[in-house]
Amino acid sequence: MSGLSVGMLLFLVSVGMSLIFGVTRIVNLAHGSFYMVGAYLMVTLVEVLPDRPWAFWLALLLAPLGVAALGGVIEIGLLRLIYRRDPLMQLILTFGLILVIGTLVLLAWGPDNKSVSRPEALAGSVRVFGQPFPSYYLLVLGLAPLVAVALWLVFYRTRFGMLIRAATVDREMLGALGVNVSALYTQVFMFGSWLAGFGGALAAPTVAVALGMDSDVLTTAFVVVVIGGLGSFAGSFISALLVGLLQSFGILIFPAISIVLLFAIMAVVLIVRPWGLLGRPEE
Amino acid sequence: MRTRVKCATPALAVLSMLLVLITAVGPAAAQGRSPIRIGEINSYSGLATVYTFPYKEGLLMAAKEINDAGGVLGRPIEFIFRDDKLKPDEAVKAARELVGQEKVDFLAGCISSGVGLAISAYAKEAKTLYFATHCQTSRLTWDDGHRYIAHTTNNVNQYVRALAKKAATLPYKKWAHISPDYEYGHNVWDEFIAYLKHLKPDIQVMQENWPKLGETDHSSYVTALLQSGADAFISSVWGAQEIAFVKQARPFGLFEKVHYISASVGNPDELEPLGKEAPVGAVTPGFAWYDDGMQKRHPKLADWVKKYTDRTKKDPTLGASWGYASAYIITEAIKRAKSAETDKVIAALSEGYEMEFPWGKVIMRGCDMQAIPPQWVGVVKMNAQGKPVLADIEETHGKDVIRSCDEVAKLRAAAADKKK
Repeated sequence: MSGLSVGMLLFLVSVGMSLIFGVTRIVNLAHGSFYMVGAYLMVTLVEVLPDRPWAFWLALLLAPLGVAALGGVIEIGLLRLIYRRDPLMQLILTFGLILVIGTLVLLAWGPDNKSVSRPEALAGSVRVFGQPFPSYYLLVLGLAPLVAVALWLVFYRTRFGMLIRAATVDREMLGALGVNVSALYTQVFMFGSWLAGFGGALAAPTVAVALGMDSDVLTTAFVVVVIGGLGSFAGSFISALLVGLLQSFGILIFPAISIVLLFAIMAVVLIVRPWGLLGRPEE
Repeated sequence: MRTRVKCATPALAVLSMLLVLITAVGPAAAQGRSPIRIGEINSYSGLATVYTFPYKEGLLMAAKEINDAGGVLGRPIEFIFRDDKLKPDEAVKAARELVGQEKVDFLAGCISSGVGLAISAYAKEAKTLYFATHCQTSRLTWDDGHRYIAHTTNNVNQYVRALAKKAATLPYKKWAHISPDYEYGHNVWDEFIAYLKHLKPDIQVMQENWPKLGETDHSSYVTALLQSGADAFISSVWGAQEIAFVKQARPFGLFEKVHYISASVGNPDELEPLGKEAPVGAVTPGFAWYDDGMQKRHPKLADWVKKYTDRTKKDPTLGASWGYASAYIITEAIKRAKSAETDKVIAALSEGYEMEFPWGKVIMRGCDMQAIPPQWVGVVKMNAQGKPVLADIEETHGKDVIRSCDEVAKLRAAAADKKK
């Protein structure tokens, strides 16, 4: 069960990464940093807002929006300049962003570990199949699939979603048809950042908010995206659950090789289906 | 061609100005009382800064006091800081630069044990004396010890044995543990269970948990501990990972069912963020400078705390006290040697000495150049303001639990055999 909720958090982060890659073809290495900023914003908002039950929920709403704004600034100010450069340049830029954001977080929030308390109502545990289960995880289990369904609706039932799908197939053609591709890129990048920020804000009460949480999540999100297929949303969902469960139960079943297991599965997927479980082969 | 010349002229001008500056500064610094220079390598960026920033404050505070009082041998001491980025290779690069170009007299620093061992290996090769000031593995001065390394702070052996000594007084026979699966985690568990069995032979180990270092989800270990049948467990996960562990274990009611003994949860970097989620009742070591009993036993402590908070606007930590003590221990060695020459300082250290600090006596033992400070173990409680603190502090001195010089000699011999 807790493996499922870990998987859900991973899904939020990796689907954002996958979305950004699908449309802009940029592998956003700073995605883990957005996750970290989301968690830190959550800390500050919970501190600043009055000590009321609704403060937590308002913070959970605002923190990801803050990350989305940050994503917007970065897209317009930096990424826009290098879409046409070779992919190596883009990797160097987003890698640089990891270091810059990491240092800025240290300057803004200081070196101390932080923590967000769970809202009073979700601090305890409930019994599921006779086992105690932290009730906060139920929230995660509920919210993340909600986001997944919302994503699906946006992609397949709205014009915005149609444009995004079109952009993943043929950007030039979309531009030639008179769509403002550069505005679309900004929106997609902000949306992807929002997802990472939401993942971070939602994860904050279950972990310590500390420097270094960016690289932890980045590695795992990468594995999720690669297994699921870059640019595939359903793939991200399935593989995030797989990885989440593997991380929780792999340890119980194969304690000695649980860390290797994750990467072994990734390797097998890459050999059998280099484009991931549900990805499309590149032409 | 013209444009190139245009660009080159200002560049040359700047360059020549720089050269003038360098030549002007060079001899001036060498005049008069030239400082004793110590290259300090530590992790000043990234996730370890929670420990290294207070440590550096303590170090600088002591350096200022020493220099205001006239320095040592009439010379001021000066620390030259380098960031090791928590990586052994970066640390060794910095050490080479400090010794080769900066011409420092000594090396100091380290938070990560891996980094400390790497600098130590370099120091041995470069024949430069290295003071390990912040990392804690016992291997530094024992298994991997040599002539050019001194350790100015606690090692794992002392505080884990102090904790095991306390654990032996608790009415528990069945034990389990959760330790991160790397050098430090294995070190703590091995030392703890060996000493506990030595003090109380009928101890049973029910179950073991080895999460990876930096694991973020501990639910399966929490379940395993709940089902282990153990009366108590020791944890050596630390920092952000232990905070996550505590937050995840609480809803399962783990701490009510199995008594929590921890190597680090009493440190403020964990207790403060945990706040009302702190594990009340946990037995753990820590530097509880705010405790009434501590302040009564050590009358000068309150004064020192005030000086530190006035200077930094922050409460002191164990790391801050280590930084402070390290600067004084290094200075004392130079004073006793009546020289800053490496061989003479090593000779002074090898004779051993004792120093009084606001928190008690620290022994620098001659045989392994290892510091032996007082050890404290307490219990996590909530104070009147609802903030978690360490209370019921019991003090043991490291000298009563640490391995003897003979045992250290055996460890070194065994390690040397292994290398062959």
